Amino acid sequence: MAVAQSDHAVWLRGIEKHFPGVIACDGAELKVRAGTIHALLGENGAGKTTMVNVLAGVYRPDGGDVWVHGQRQVFRSPADAIAAGVGMVHQEFRLVPSLTVAENIVLGAAPAFLRSGEIEQKVAELSNTYGLAADPTRPVWQLSMGERQRVEILKALWRDASVLVMDEPTAVLTPAEAAELGLTLRAMAEEGRSVIYISHKLDQVVAFCDEATVLRRGKTTATFSDLMDVDLAELAEKMVGTATAGNIERPEPLEPGPAVLSLENISACNDRGLAAVHDICMQVCANEIVGIVGVSGNGQKELAEVITGLRQPTGGKVSLSGEDITAASPSARYARGLAYVPEDRLGVGLAPKMSVVDNAVVRSYRSQRRGLFLAASKCVAFCRGLVERFGVRVGRLNDPIAGLSGGNLQRLLLGRELAEEPKILVAAQPSRGLDVQGVAAIQGHLVEQRRSGVGVLLISEDLDELLALADRLLVMFEGRIMGEYGPDVTPRTILGAAMAGMPPQ
Amino acid sequence: MMRPVLVRRDRVLPAVQGFGFLVGIFVALVLGAILLLVSDSNPVEVYERMFDSAFRGTDSLSRTLERATPLALTGLAVAVAGSMGLWNIGAEGQMMAGATLATGVAMMTDGLSGPLLIAVMLSCGVVGGMVLMLGPALARSHLGVNEIITTLMLVYVSIRIVEWLEVGRWKDPDSLGFPRIEEVPGQASLPQLFGRANVGVLVALGLLIVFSLAVSRTAWGYELRLAGSSPNTARYAGVSLRRKVLTALLLSGGIAGLAGAVQLTGTEVRLTPGLSNGFGFSGIIVAALALMRPSGVAVVAFVFGAVQVGGQSIQTLGVSAAISTILQAMILFGALTAVVFFNYRIRWAGSGDGSDV
Amino acid sequence: MSEAAVIGLFVATVQFATLVYLAALGELIAERAGVLNLGVEGMMAMGAVSGFMVGLETGSPWAAFVVAAAVGALVGGFHALISVVLGADQVVSGLALTIGGVGLAAYVGRNVGGRIPETKFTDMSIIGLSEIRWFGDIFFNQPPVVYLAVLLGAGSWFVLARTRLGLALRAVGESAPTTDAVGHSVVGLRVAAVMVGGGLAGAAGSFLSLYMAPGWTEGMVAGRGWIAVALVIFGAWKPGRLAAGALLFGFTLALQPRLQSFDINFLGLQVNQISPALLGMLPFLLTVAVLVVISWRYRHGPSPAPASLGIAYRREER
Repeated sequence: MAVAQSDHAVWLRGIEKHFPGVIACDGAELKVRAGTIHALLGENGAGKTTMVNVLAGVYRPDGGDVWVHGQRQVFRSPADAIAAGVGMVHQEFRLVPSLTVAENIVLGAAPAFLRSGEIEQKVAELSNTYGLAADPTRPVWQLSMGERQRVEILKALWRDASVLVMDEPTAVLTPAEAAELGLTLRAMAEEGRSVIYISHKLDQVVAFCDEATVLRRGKTTATFSDLMDVDLAELAEKMVGTATAGNIERPEPLEPGPAVLSLENISACNDRGLAAVHDICMQVCANEIVGIVGVSGNGQKELAEVITGLRQPTGGKVSLSGEDITAASPSARYARGLAYVPEDRLGVGLAPKMSVVDNAVVRSYRSQRRGLFLAASKCVAFCRGLVERFGVRVGRLNDPIAGLSGGNLQRLLLGRELAEEPKILVAAQPSRGLDVQGVAAIQGHLVEQRRSGVGVLLISEDLDELLALADRLLVMFEGRIMGEYGPDVTPRTILGAAMAGMPPQ
Repeated sequence: MMRPVLVRRDRVLPAVQGFGFLVGIFVALVLGAILLLVSDSNPVEVYERMFDSAFRGTDSLSRTLERATPLALTGLAVAVAGSMGLWNIGAEGQMMAGATLATGVAMMTDGLSGPLLIAVMLSCGVVGGMVLMLGPALARSHLGVNEIITTLMLVYVSIRIVEWLEVGRWKDPDSLGFPRIEEVPGQASLPQLFGRANVGVLVALGLLIVFSLAVSRTAWGYELRLAGSSPNTARYAGVSLRRKVLTALLLSGGIAGLAGAVQLTGTEVRLTPGLSNGFGFSGIIVAALALMRPSGVAVVAFVFGAVQVGGQSIQTLGVSAAISTILQAMILFGALTAVVFFNYRIRWAGSGDGSDV
Repeated sequence: MSEAAVIGLFVATVQFATLVYLAALGELIAERAGVLNLGVEGMMAMGAVSGFMVGLETGSPWAAFVVAAAVGALVGGFHALISVVLGADQVVSGLALTIGGVGLAAYVGRNVGGRIPETKFTDMSIIGLSEIRWFGDIFFNQPPVVYLAVLLGAGSWFVLARTRLGLALRAVGESAPTTDAVGHSVVGLRVAAVMVGGGLAGAAGSFLSLYMAPGWTEGMVAGRGWIAVALVIFGAWKPGRLAAGALLFGFTLALQPRLQSFDINFLGLQVNQISPALLGMLPFLLTVAVLVVISWRYRHGPSPAPASLGIAYRREER
């Protein structure tokens, strides 16, 4: 039995958690003192969300243990975590849209009978106490994202949570709402509650938080007990890794060819109808890799979808080798030489329940016909070609692809997109979540495409990868391009500042 | 306290999924035996009689094939919609609609030669099924109206139409006041193959092969499966979802309508409100057990034909034929459960620690 | 047409409405918890046969009613086991339940078909109210199951709208992860809701076999279970609106056997000339029309259906 740590409100020790094909946490550690706001930092896929889901009783860890206020806890369900005082505000709000604000707040901790107006009144009192304005009688679907977040916080306060976990709380907030959130969290900390604040918006972390823990690939790589004097760039560096570019060989310089992809004044909205991409102009030439750097949620996904035809821009023009393709369908764009490796592989690019062969021919099945039939031999030969050329490790070709590992799925998807020799490849987070070999293989293919004359637009959160591979870097922040940088001449600190929205003049 | 939790298996052998059907048969036989024991029947004797009557001798086999024919067609109908993730649970009604239109055309056309009349009637069967499906299909593709309830509601509508025709327009003048529709002309009987099996078996087999190839081997079938499996990926590949929904549902209705016309010309002598006889509903189970694959439908339909023939035969032992319906549903429940356990394993989560067992 | 015939029509309307309302209320509760149960027809058949047999055995319609409800709950529990606990496809499981339930009912009742029940529910006058002209006969001189259905409807509304349990049920139907995250048991709530729903369907079945059409014949549920499923959509998942829908469908169901006795001329059409078979299509065609209209109305906005309806929930899946 380890000694109880009375000064720590939360201690997650040696947490291990794996999902089929993915190791989300690999012995990660998190210690949070009472009465502080503690930042949990890391890239996407670093294991932050898994860690806090373990703390919230959503996931059971495969190894390691959980201590809350000096008590070792085994949470079998979220109910246990709530009982121990852990309140969680998930990244995607866990609210029931059709229920009212008051109903959502008391859900799970309601009186046995709900007299008309009673819970509404109590909720109004609570929201007044903390200055979290929310009309208790309105249904949640009518609320703005900022209001919904207040409801989530009130939900935790209704249960008198002593530990509040906020997963990416400002991703959906306007700057003013974010500033207000900072004040609320500080007030809660001063009452003696602890706040775990997950984010990769570094400027906010430094402004709001007292301490920080940095995760990388499922492990804790750094802790900061005082954020007062910490340099933004240093934090950014810890997040994205300090490994020198030595493990990725920098491709030899090439003279860029003619522009293959150009965007003129592109603007677009996200799924919620809010402006996500503002007036972007850029070009990608043959024989070059252009990297888009930025923390996720700054418009990269929307930008990629506009380029590939899955999202209509609200303004601007997309051209492929000088030809206007702004109105063309995704398949027409592919036919003209625009290949795409989407971020959400299993949702958009692949059909998980279908076979390897079926997934290999998504782009090309129309040309694999023999009369009415899809020529099985042609499809299999095509698929086998991809499998061999791209080193996809598969069982039988007729098995569903759902059984493949992430790396092999990505090799197959990339191979399929490259099969008909595109002019331009848009790759969104192509190496995210892959093992070391998978990453190396994918990066190798990107380099090879560049050499053979393809223009590559590489959207990534992995700064190492971009610094090593890209010929030019564009930093994206809040839907805008903050500036263009040469990867071999720009210090990380400058990139980190630009990623945080503060490009050096 | 130890509590069972279902955990997805890291690796599933996809080939194993087909065995769900076998496990289902086993589960159903065991549960059926318990039911028979409880009601004082000897399960061994009952099962033996069922087996003999379904498989022993060419006559038995011909009865099984006769039963399997409409099951294969309705199963195929459900599977065609199902390969796109849609549910046609009104095959029962489309059978009636197909048989009705086929009867109508037989009444109107006098003196057509046998083969020609049969061809016309079977085509009308297809059209009849499609007509009944048109409303639900359009409502689904253009308004997103759930096809489960609309297709089912039309089952009752089509049966009422036949009841109405029976006492009204199409009433047989020689029926001495009984509500009854005229027999279809003698030359419109499907030729017999052997025993009670008729050419309908070949029609069903032919269609199963055609659709099996169409769904698994043609570009059309590929688009259908892609749209059913991942709508976003299909859109990305340039497939029109709306058109695919419409064709899948209409084809499904047409095949079920053909089942009605085959039943009319092959087995029955006249259109009655009981012509569909539950085949449309059993077809749902057949398709579900075949995992919506036309190739699997043939096997499952044959087994179900045998279960139904067996169910008829045990009445002489004083056992209700309803046992065969129960067996069919139990096979499906057994298979459903089996497939869950092919994909998941039970983990006993104890309170000792949160780690794995 | 006589006043008695009109009153008779409305009396039957209320009774048919009660029949479909009970079953639909059960389906509503299951669906509000996020479980689609297409097995209503099967659960009603099992309730009808078991109720009838208990009625024969005990002579007590109330014993029959309670046993039928228990049997319905058990049959519903089977669907819950397969589709909620194990997470198999709710559509397939529900359809199998309908087919299997109808078959099992036929098997269980193989020896009692055609027998005349010695007992059935008797009409019960509500003192004072039953004397009111017309209304008294139509609403207050009915079998007690009618009054019970009204109480159950009001009770369901109260539980759903005004209790912690109801709040949890509504929440689990809208968003299982949310409800799980606040500490309610998703499986527990859903299994309970499906079993309560099955109980109501079973009870409705016994009302059929011990009052509406005393006796047991195979296939006697005759699609009413399916109407109940559709009625839930018509009622927009609300017990009150469900009652209005039940009265509308009850009217069309009651009309069919009676219309022939009505000597009225409607738009130049002699109604007693309309075939009863065609009138019998009315409830089913009405259902289709209603579904289309509802989809049309909600084509731009969110549907009133519980958002998690039909989706199995497994906590650690991602």
